[in-house]
Amino acid sequence: MNKTQRIEAIMEVVRILAGMAIAYLVALLILIAFSNDPVFIVKQFILGPFSSPRRIGSIINLAVPFTLCGLSMCFMYAVNKFNLIGESIFMLSGCIITFIGLKIGANMPAVILVPLLLLIGAAIGAALSFIPAIMDRKLNANVVVVSLMLNAVITQLAIYILRYFMKDPGISFIGSHETHAAMQLPTILGKMRVGSGVIIALIFVAVISIIFFKTSFGWKMRIVGSNPKFATAVGLSTLGISFAAQLAGGALAGVAGATEIMNSYKRFQWTASTGHGFDGLLVAVLAKKNPILVPFGALFLAYIRIGADVVNTSGDIPNEFISVIQGIIILLVAAESFLSGFKNKLIYRSVQAEKAGRKDK
Amino acid sequence: MAEEVLRMQGITKIYPNGFMANKDVTFGIGAKEIHALVGENGAGKTTLMKILFGMEDCQNGQIFINGKEEKIANPLDAIAKGVGMVHQHFMLLPSLTVAENVVLGVEPMKNGLFDFEGAVKSTQEIADKYNFKVDATARVSTLSVGQMQKVEILKALIKGAKILILDEPTAVLTPQETEELFEQLFHLRDSGVSVIFISHKLEEVMRICSRVTVLRHGECMGTYDTKDLDESKISRLMVGRDVILKIEKEDPKPDKPILEIKNLRRFNSFGKPVIDGVTFTVRSGEVVGIAGVEGNGQSELSEVLAGLSGFAEGDVVLNGKSIRGLSVRQIRDNGMAYIAEDRMVEGVAGDMSIEMNIMADRFTKQNYKTGLFINSAKMREETLKLIKDFEILCDSPDQPVRMLSGGNIQKVVVAREFTSGANFILANQPTRGIDVGTAEMIRKTIVRKSREEGTCTVLISADLNEVLECSDRLLVMRKGKVVAAFPKANEVSEDTLGEYMLGIKAMTPEQMEGLL
Repeated sequence: MNKTQRIEAIMEVVRILAGMAIAYLVALLILIAFSNDPVFIVKQFILGPFSSPRRIGSIINLAVPFTLCGLSMCFMYAVNKFNLIGESIFMLSGCIITFIGLKIGANMPAVILVPLLLLIGAAIGAALSFIPAIMDRKLNANVVVVSLMLNAVITQLAIYILRYFMKDPGISFIGSHETHAAMQLPTILGKMRVGSGVIIALIFVAVISIIFFKTSFGWKMRIVGSNPKFATAVGLSTLGISFAAQLAGGALAGVAGATEIMNSYKRFQWTASTGHGFDGLLVAVLAKKNPILVPFGALFLAYIRIGADVVNTSGDIPNEFISVIQGIIILLVAAESFLSGFKNKLIYRSVQAEKAGRKDK
Repeated sequence: MAEEVLRMQGITKIYPNGFMANKDVTFGIGAKEIHALVGENGAGKTTLMKILFGMEDCQNGQIFINGKEEKIANPLDAIAKGVGMVHQHFMLLPSLTVAENVVLGVEPMKNGLFDFEGAVKSTQEIADKYNFKVDATARVSTLSVGQMQKVEILKALIKGAKILILDEPTAVLTPQETEELFEQLFHLRDSGVSVIFISHKLEEVMRICSRVTVLRHGECMGTYDTKDLDESKISRLMVGRDVILKIEKEDPKPDKPILEIKNLRRFNSFGKPVIDGVTFTVRSGEVVGIAGVEGNGQSELSEVLAGLSGFAEGDVVLNGKSIRGLSVRQIRDNGMAYIAEDRMVEGVAGDMSIEMNIMADRFTKQNYKTGLFINSAKMREETLKLIKDFEILCDSPDQPVRMLSGGNIQKVVVAREFTSGANFILANQPTRGIDVGTAEMIRKTIVRKSREEGTCTVLISADLNEVLECSDRLLVMRKGKVVAAFPKANEVSEDTLGEYMLGIKAMTPEQMEGLL
């Protein structure tokens, strides 16, 4: 690594940290402005998520779907297709695997049922993602528009299935019957009560990192995403690769939905879109579309969400203000030229020093 | 020299990628002067002028116009201060008329609406004043390149430019158009405009400029009166040694045909033919050059041969197999290698590592895999070898390509394309915008591969020196057709070539028989 490269790498980290710090600062200012007891609230917001093993466990549990959805968006993002269908895949996958799990899971051991349901979730995801991907490939329809429109349709489909085919009349809210024990993932790590879904998430992080960096498909995706014209000129099937990447991304969103149901719920009870697809996009941006970094982005996002929850339950601040902070983070992390002036100055100085040094010799 | 109208003092510019484009450059020009700024490609001429025109900022240095220090924030600011620039690539709106293009930014208004008549009138006035023959009501899309350049110059003049920067103005012109441009420049000079003439065509510089400032690797090598210099002295200042323009090569021994193009036709989206009945054959062991003013079908031909575009009629046969309907992958597997016209668009993925760029055409092949995975060790080994063989200056194979200089980026491209095992090399502008050393290496490698390995090469280039010296046979393209064919490229003079390029002359099919 030469000096220029090292400065670029360091500034990348500084940029993300500075973006987060600014977002925090804004959050704190809002708290001070609107809360009667700002010092307590600020303390709760920063330290609250770590105040009990249960809360730390909650961060990890929340980070599980964020990680899987982040990985899903890594595929879309790698080929520069902002296919947002993951948002509704997550929901429909959760719905369908609950439905199937209830039908067939009564006497099945977990070791068969869990992988089977994950596979079904993946198949649902790939099938749904096929629609915007094929429209992009064959009809040149914008994936963002198509996937967003489809999200509305698929979300309503999931709600319809829940209301008319799965609803448990014996409970006071809208939800399915309670799932069989075999598809409720056991908790681990004692008091923290972390669901074993975290293991599934970590396995996928490892597998997908290997796909990205050690297989020819990963290389193809990265080349296509970086410069599609170049990819075409060296003989890669640009359309085919970005199509395949979108199917893979969809499959992962399906896995994410299935895992979330098995990890954190006893019933399927989502009656509105969960927002996980968009959270996945945020995580992928934070991780710079690098699957290895995805769990860290996911943990960070989970940490501020839990912080917001803590403040919400123990103070007088509504949960919604977290979306403000999130917005600022996306803005500052995604804005590539944030702090670029400072970075360029550093590079300029180091080159000048280097040239001067060379002259002295 | 009369009083100095412009002085740039101690200009230093470092790009965000760490490349130092200008280092403490100082130069000044006088009134009524045509002043040459010369240097190799990448010596920092264009950067220096972009700084003067407010398109780039610099880290150090001052600019004085008429003795007064000025800060130039942006091109509008530069124009207000009397600086005009004609870019290498024209910045015109082709669907508008000449007059509309010229008055853009200073539109005459009547009753709150654009006054087209007034625009035509003032355009005609300024054109007459400086003796430019253009039709103010013609659409820019119908003009020749030479006329477009006039429109660009008029654009600067109508805004009152007293210092006019011309960035390689003759690169796109035929010899005849160049003559006309020079006449106009003399006229401009005499009417009080100072001209900065960027070029690396030394005989032009010697002819029309009174003084020369030489840049080498971003540093100023001094300003000289042209009467004290000759071409070889300038070239020594530019590159530190005499440029060897001759390429020593044995006569080709053309063998069996590798590439056969038969009556090829391709149309653009308006149904106009862009390749119009092109037929020629390239045999193993020979380099066929294609000359022509840019935009006469060379790029379109290159796209067809590279498999990036289809064609309407005719056929292209490579190694006995028609490429119609084949994918790029299949054509490459059938023996094609492609050095793309614009290396940053089709030649490399800038954000990817050197290794990925060099391996981009081959990592999918079975012998670069171990089971499901890519064979990292083998790829690393081969990349390191190629970096060494092609002398790519870099810190590691993991460095992103965009951090390299233009010449080293092109080395990455050729390291891939020259080693792909192809027997047909399609080289489109292989040395555009890169340093002399790398250009020489690329040209020599093309010739050497044809002589030693029997590859056939199609060399498309706007650099006349290159097509004349590097090619064995030479074809000239104009308006999508082959209009001339010469059996020995190095015996063709630039003047003859210019006449065919411009369409003053054209060979009949009978004359070209046996040469295609």
